[in-house]
Amino acid sequence: MRQIILRREIVADEWRYPGEAGVGPAVLSLAQLLAMPSVPAGTAVQLEPDDDVEALAPHLGNIVLLVIHFPKNGEGRGFSQARMLRERYGYEGTLRASGPIKRDYLYLLARCGIDSFDLDPGEDLTSAVTALDAFTVAYQRGSDGLVAPRYRQIS
Amino acid sequence: MYRYDQIDRTLVAERVAQFRDQTRRFLAGELTEEEFRPLRLRNGLYIQTHAPMLRIAVPYGLLAAQQVRMLAHIARHYDRGYGHFTTRQNIQFNWPELARVPDILAELATVEMHAIQTSGNCIRNVTSDHLAGIAPDEIADPRPFCEIIRQWSTVHPEFTYLPRKFKIAVTGSPADRAASEVHDIGLHMVRGTDGELGFEVLVGGGLGRQPIIGQRIREFLPPAELLAYLEAILRVYNRHGRRDNINKARIKVLVKALGAAEFARQVEAEYEANRPFAARLPEAEIERVRACFAPLPYEPLADMDVVAGRGAAFAAWFAHNTRAHKISGYRAVFISLKQHGAAPGDASAAQLDAIAAAADEFSFGQVRVTHDQNLVLGEVRQRDVPRLWERLNQHGLATPNIGTLTDIICCPGLDFCSLANAGSIPIAKQIQARFSDFDYLYDLGPIEIKISGCMNACGHHHIGHIGILGVDKHGEEWYQITIGGSSSGRVSLGEVIGPSVPKAEVAETLASILDVYVEERDSAEEPFLETVRRIGIEPFKERAYAADYIAA
Repeated sequence: MRQIILRREIVADEWRYPGEAGVGPAVLSLAQLLAMPSVPAGTAVQLEPDDDVEALAPHLGNIVLLVIHFPKNGEGRGFSQARMLRERYGYEGTLRASGPIKRDYLYLLARCGIDSFDLDPGEDLTSAVTALDAFTVAYQRGSDGLVAPRYRQIS
Repeated sequence: MYRYDQIDRTLVAERVAQFRDQTRRFLAGELTEEEFRPLRLRNGLYIQTHAPMLRIAVPYGLLAAQQVRMLAHIARHYDRGYGHFTTRQNIQFNWPELARVPDILAELATVEMHAIQTSGNCIRNVTSDHLAGIAPDEIADPRPFCEIIRQWSTVHPEFTYLPRKFKIAVTGSPADRAASEVHDIGLHMVRGTDGELGFEVLVGGGLGRQPIIGQRIREFLPPAELLAYLEAILRVYNRHGRRDNINKARIKVLVKALGAAEFARQVEAEYEANRPFAARLPEAEIERVRACFAPLPYEPLADMDVVAGRGAAFAAWFAHNTRAHKISGYRAVFISLKQHGAAPGDASAAQLDAIAAAADEFSFGQVRVTHDQNLVLGEVRQRDVPRLWERLNQHGLATPNIGTLTDIICCPGLDFCSLANAGSIPIAKQIQARFSDFDYLYDLGPIEIKISGCMNACGHHHIGHIGILGVDKHGEEWYQITIGGSSSGRVSLGEVIGPSVPKAEVAETLASILDVYVEERDSAEEPFLETVRRIGIEPFKERAYAADYIAA
C-alpha cells in the first residue's frame, strides 16, 4: 500500500486515483464529480492543473479529500489552486499534493495550505517530513499559519 | 541602504543550508539533473558552455563597499579573478566549481547578499533607477518599495513556479532610467490628485522573441495596496499563462492574447475577490524600510566649478562620466566598465577592491550598478571629484565614454552562454577598436549600442539606438542591425534595417550608418535617435547596403 505524509505523519493510504486499479475507495476526477446528480458526503476528488477551482466550490462541504495533481516538475498552477481553495472557498478537509514531487517543494506547498503529500516514489518520507521545516521565517502571509510573516493580514 | 534584520538573516542562512543539501544530494546521485535543475536555477546557478555560471543578486543595483569587497574575494578565490555585471544590475561569475557554490553563498550571506531567484521561472531581482534617491528629476525614491518587493517576492509560497521568468522594475522618475516599460511589470511612482504617492502599473512589456512595450492597467495604486495588487497580477498569470510552449509563456503573451483591457479586468476582479485575504502593506513597515534610505549626512556645500584649470582630459571625462546630484556641492560619478578592448561590464578583483575603497573614501560606502553595465559612485563631494578621477584612472575605470558609442551594452554571448547563436563580446571589441577616436565619439553625441547574442535579448538590442543581434547562418555568425530603439523617455523598439551582415563587417556597417547621421542631422545638437525618428530608416538602409551593390 502507498505510504504518504498526512499532517507530518507517515501513513498508509488506500485511495485510488482516477484511472488507477485497486480495491480502495475511488478519487473522482473533476469531470466525474461534476457529472454526478448530487455529491455525497465523504467524496474525494482530484484536480488537474487545467481544472478551475471555481467549479468545485459548491461541493466542497461534501469533500473529505482533495488531491492536487502536479504531473511534472515545475508545474506551478497547483499552488494557486491550493491557496484559493483554503482561503476564498474555505475548504477545510485534507488537501493533498500528488505527483513526482521531491521534498524540496514541501515547504512551499505547505505554506499554500497543503497538508498531505504523496511524493515521488524514490523520495525518503522521513527526510521529507523534516523538509517541511526548511524555513522558520517567511516574508509572506500563507495559508498554513505555521510562521509569523512580516506583512500580517490587517482586516 | 537596507540592512538585514533577524528575519532576513535567518531566511538567507536557511536558504544556504537548503541549497547545500540539494547540491550534496545531486552530487551523490540522489537528485537527477532534471530534478536538480529548477532548484539550482532558483539559486542563480546555470550550467554554461565551459562551467557553471553563478548569478548573484544585487537588489535594485545597490551595493555596500564591504559587499563589493566580498565580490572581489569571490572573484579571486572561486573564479578566475573577475566578475561580469549584467543588464539586470546583477553580477555573474563564469567559472565557479559546482561543489563550492554553497560555500560562495555562505560567504555572501555574511555580507547580506544572496543569489536567490536570479534565474528560473520565478520573480527575479527587482531593478530600478541607478540614480534613485539622488536624481534631481525624481518624484520619490523608489528603493524602499524595491526592497519591500524584494522581500515579498523572495521564497514566495505561490509564485515560485511560474510559467516563465518574471521581472519587475520600479522607477521614481519620469525619465525612466530603469527600462521599466519592457518589464513584465513596470511600476512608476506618481503623485495622485491630492499629491499623495502611488504607482502607475504597466504590465506585459518585454524583449526576447516578441519585443513589446508594457501597457498601463492601473493609473494609480496606493502603496498600501501594492502587494495585494501584485499578487492579483501574479495569480492571474500563474493560473492562465501558457505552459505548453516556452516561447509563449511570458506574461506579455497572455496580456496580448486577452487584450490589455480584459487582462486588467481579470486582475481587478481577482484583486477584489482576494481582498479579505490579501496582505495590506502596513504604513509602519513602509516607514521601517524607508528609514534605511533616509538622506545621507551631506555636508552643506555650494556648487563649484570643478573643471576650470584642470585640462581637456579631465573636462571630457567630467562632461561624460558625471551627472547632477539633487544636493548642492555633490555629484554622481560613473565608473566606466567599458574600457576599450575589455568585455563590457567586466571588473577584475583588483578593480572591485579599488572601487570599494573609493566608495568608502568618496561616496558614503555605497556603489550603484547601472543596467547599462557600469557602476556609479552616487554621492561624491564636487571638490573630491578630481581626486576620484585620478584614482579611477589608475585602475582603468575612467574611460570617458559614458553615453557614447563605445558605452556598449553586451550579453556574454557565444563566448560563455550555451543559448547564444553568435559572439557579442568580439563585436563590442570590434566596435571599440574601429571607433577609438574620442573626438569623433563626442561629435556623434549620445548613442546607445546594445548587442545580444541570441533572440533572448539579454543585451536589450531592441531598445538600443543601434541594436545588434547575433544570428547563426549555417554555422557562421551573422548580425542583424536595428536602429531607432530607446528605453527612456519615449520608449520605442528598433526597426531592422535589412539583411544581417557578416561578423567582419559589423563595425563598417555602423560607420556607414553614422555617416548618414552626421550628414542628415539638422544641427550638431540633434542626437542620433532624433535624426532616425525624423528621417526614418530608409536613408540608413540605402547607405548600409550600398557596399554590397558595388561589390556585386
